[in-house]
Order: sequence, then structure tokens, then C-alpha cells
Amino acid sequence: MAGLLSRERIVAGPGFNRWLVPPAALAIHLSIGMAYGFSVFWLPLSKAIGITHSVACPADMSFLQQVVTTSCDWKISTLGWMFTLFFVFLGSSAAVFGRWLEHAGPRKAGVVAAFCWGGGFMISALGVQLHQIWLLWLGSGVIGGCGLGLGYISPVSTLIKWFPDRRGMATGMAIMGFGGGAMIGAPLADILMKHFATPTSVGVKETFITLGVIYFIAMLAGAFGYRVPPADWSVAPKVPRHRALTTQHAALRAEMITTRHVHVDVAWKTPQFWLLWWVLCLNVSAGIGVIGMSSPMIQEVFGGRLINLPGVPLSQLSEAQKAQVATIGASFAALLSLFNIAGRIGWASLSDYIGRKQTYFVFFVLGGCLYASVPTAGRSGIVPLFAGLFCLILTMYGGGFSTIPAYLADVFGTQFVGAIHGRLLTAWSAAGILGPVLVNYIREYQIDRGVPPAQAYNVTMYVLTGLLVLGFFCNLAVRPVAERYYMSDEELARERGLLAAGGRS
Amino acid sequence: MSQEDPSRGDGAGQWGLVALAWAAVGVPLLWGVWDTLMKAAKLFR
Repeated sequence: MAGLLSRERIVAGPGFNRWLVPPAALAIHLSIGMAYGFSVFWLPLSKAIGITHSVACPADMSFLQQVVTTSCDWKISTLGWMFTLFFVFLGSSAAVFGRWLEHAGPRKAGVVAAFCWGGGFMISALGVQLHQIWLLWLGSGVIGGCGLGLGYISPVSTLIKWFPDRRGMATGMAIMGFGGGAMIGAPLADILMKHFATPTSVGVKETFITLGVIYFIAMLAGAFGYRVPPADWSVAPKVPRHRALTTQHAALRAEMITTRHVHVDVAWKTPQFWLLWWVLCLNVSAGIGVIGMSSPMIQEVFGGRLINLPGVPLSQLSEAQKAQVATIGASFAALLSLFNIAGRIGWASLSDYIGRKQTYFVFFVLGGCLYASVPTAGRSGIVPLFAGLFCLILTMYGGGFSTIPAYLADVFGTQFVGAIHGRLLTAWSAAGILGPVLVNYIREYQIDRGVPPAQAYNVTMYVLTGLLVLGFFCNLAVRPVAERYYMSDEELARERGLLAAGGRS
Repeated sequence: MSQEDPSRGDGAGQWGLVALAWAAVGVPLLWGVWDTLMKAAKLFR
């Protein structure tokens, strides 16, 4: 089995078509992308005991008792901890196991990810059966979260090596899958829960088992589809003339793309690593902040206008009207998710033409202008303008994720890009905490001081704009890595020799 | 593997496999996109 998964077994043979690698990566990313869709389980799980209604726990029940109780239902806020666990363990496992992945190869990492993610669903199913929330946290949150991290970074290095001429597009295709996974998984889970629901069960346990099996198979198929290029393989770069807009632009791009390599254990000691860490963290923090408030914001800012009752604030609508507005809010969130995945492939592909640093300049300059325009768009009362701004903002949130691996490959070389990317993903974990905390704190602070809810978002948007301004300066400061950080030819040969000891490449 | 191999499959079989692999991930993704588009369409009704 170990041999079957080893790196030497997946060195591509003659005639291998490199376009087989992106769908393999997509199979894994589409599976783990379901992490974004887990909220579809919250409502049914909050009624796992009551079935038709949620059975509230006694007010004096301690947190520990709530974790192990089988007599009352879980709160949605308790279930929501799963998201935090997902992203904390995604970042941590990517950082810890990235170095291992470079040696073990993408197939072994993909298989481990499949066991973690699929197995996590099974443990969660047991948690539902026994009504033990800690089993869900452990199964999907911790073990599944490790699967997320390994699965997320498993194809990055391989794709960049297969597509040296289109690094952005190649990683963009895979990372687009992570954004799109919930689009498949959430409605599928909904269908499955309805199918499995009985008068005595909400159908989540059976849904977890079914999804676990589906994802396990899909991820194994992806992992077994991975091939790494031989060490001596290269593709003749066919850079169209229009890619380099001017001679000066071409020189600028060339300066930012190294042909040498920085060791993963050295990379994190460079200023470039931390500048890029902040670039990702700030872009993602702002994006997460916007995603979290997009649906309530459109409802509170426009209120009755969304259902042809202009001038009627949300608070004065009837319950039925509020439900209509909430449906529109959910539709808005769905629309944003489409732009999120479009941005992942679109911006990353564009970065192959205009350069990575320039792409992030667009995110921070244009993005900053868009964030700052949202309050004005809200005051204008023009819903399409408001929605359009958010859609563009979301493309840049997605684009930030998908462009960063190619940026790292440009700055640190391709030898350890998967492991370096893994360590950089801790910025995502940090942003997962920073973004929501910042948004919620600012909003509560303003509402406590009497600011109307609809206007309480304005200051938040300006603060998020401030994050992007900081990101702009971090990106501006990114320069090529100093000579002393690069691996010498001997070190590189030794490293490649270590890989060759376990394989041909 | 020779340098002249630009990683493009030599035969039709490789491209057939590529089409199959892309269909395996593309069809579910398109279904998800379609489902999301239908939900998003409510915003414009």
C-alpha cells in the first residue's frame, strides 16, 4: 500500500497529458469545499431530539453538561464552533504537514486527506447517533479540519510544476473547487436529509454517512489521478506577446519571478514571507467580514425596498414580509458565492498576464475603493449598484486565495512552494478569527451607542477599507528575496537527491 | 520522459480521458452552479 502511494509510483510516463491533473485536484477541492456548506446541517441538528422543534436545555445546565447531554438539543451557536475548528485545523495542519507533503508526494497526502475528511463524517454520524457534540467537533472539526489542510495544499506544488507557464490559472482551477464545493454539497445534503428524514429522525446521521462515502471515493479518485512531472521535465514557455504589455512591464514581472529556490525552513525567516502573510490575512479578513454581514446588511439597509415597499424599514415589516426579505438575503448570499468562485479562476488566470504583485495592487486599490463606496451605494437606495459592488468585492476575496500560491512560487521558487503555502495558510486561520471579531465588535459598539442598525455597517466598511490600505503597503514592500536566502546548487541537489531516494523526481 | 514531450497526450485516448475526467468534476460543479443561480434569481424577481 505504501508503495502504491509513494512519490515514485506517480511520476508521469511518456505521453501523459498534464490537463488530467487539474480535474484530479478539483475532485479533492470540491469535496473539502463542503466545509463552507456545513451550516445546512445546523437547523436539523438543533432539532435532533425534538425533531419538529428544538428542546432547550435547562438554564442552569453547565457548558460541560451541554456537551455530553442526551436530553436536550444543541444550540446553533454551539454547532457553529465547527467552522472555527475547520479553519484553525486547516491552517495548522497545512503548516505542520506541508514539509512532509513535499517528500511524501501529493497522492499520499490526498489519500490521508480522504481518510480524514471521509472518516470525520463517519465520526460525526456516530456523534449524531449518540447525541454527543464533542464527537462532531472531533470528527468533522478536528480530524476533518486536518483533512481540509492536507487536501487543500496537496495539489498546489504539483500543479505549479506542471504549469510553469500558467501557474495562476492552474492553482486557480483547483482553489475554485474549494469555493464551489458547498454549491454541490449543500443542496445535495438538503436532498439527502429530506430523503432520510423520518418521524423519529432528522436524517442527518444517514446524510453524514452517505456524504462521507461519496467524498471518500471522490477524494481517493482525485489522489490516484495525481501525477508529478519527472525531474527533467519542462514545458517550452509559450508566452503570447500580449501577456507582457510593455517592455517595462515585462522587466518588472521578470524581476518578481525567481528561477531559484528558497528552503521552506528559511522562507519563513524572510520579510517577504511575513509581508505576504499579512497580504493574505488582510485581504481575507476584509472579505470574511463582508461575507458575514452581506445578507443581514442588504436586508437592514434596504428593508422594504427589496419587496417593493420603499421607505419601510426592516423593523416595521410583518413577519411574513421579513421572511420574504430574508429569502432575498439568502439569494444575495448565493449570488456572492458565484462571484467568489468566478474570482478564484478569473483573477488567478489574469495574474499570469499582469503579474502577481499587480493583481494584489488591483485587489487593494480597486477593492479599497469598492469597500469605501458601499455606504454611499446603500444611501443611494439603488439595490443593483449595492449588489454589484459586493459581487466585485467577492471576486477579489476569492482571487486572493487562488493567486497566493503562484505569488509564493514567483518569490520563493517552486521546490518548496507547497510547504511554504501550507505555512502561509495560518494567515487564513488568523483572518477567520480577526475578520468576524472585528466586524461584530464594531457593530455592537455602535449599536450600544444608539447608531441605527442600518447605519452601523458604514463604519465597519471604512475599517475594512483600512485593512486593505495596510495590505496595499505590505504588497508594495514585497521585493525579490535577498541572495543569502536562496538554496545553493549543492543544497538543491541534496534536496532533490532526498526526493530521488523516494522517487525519480 | 523526453523534453519534447510537452505533456500533451499523444493519442486520442489521452484526450478522451481528459474529457472524461473534466466531465466527472464539471457536471456536479455545473449542477451546483445552476442550483445557486436559481436561488440567486430570486433577487431579481
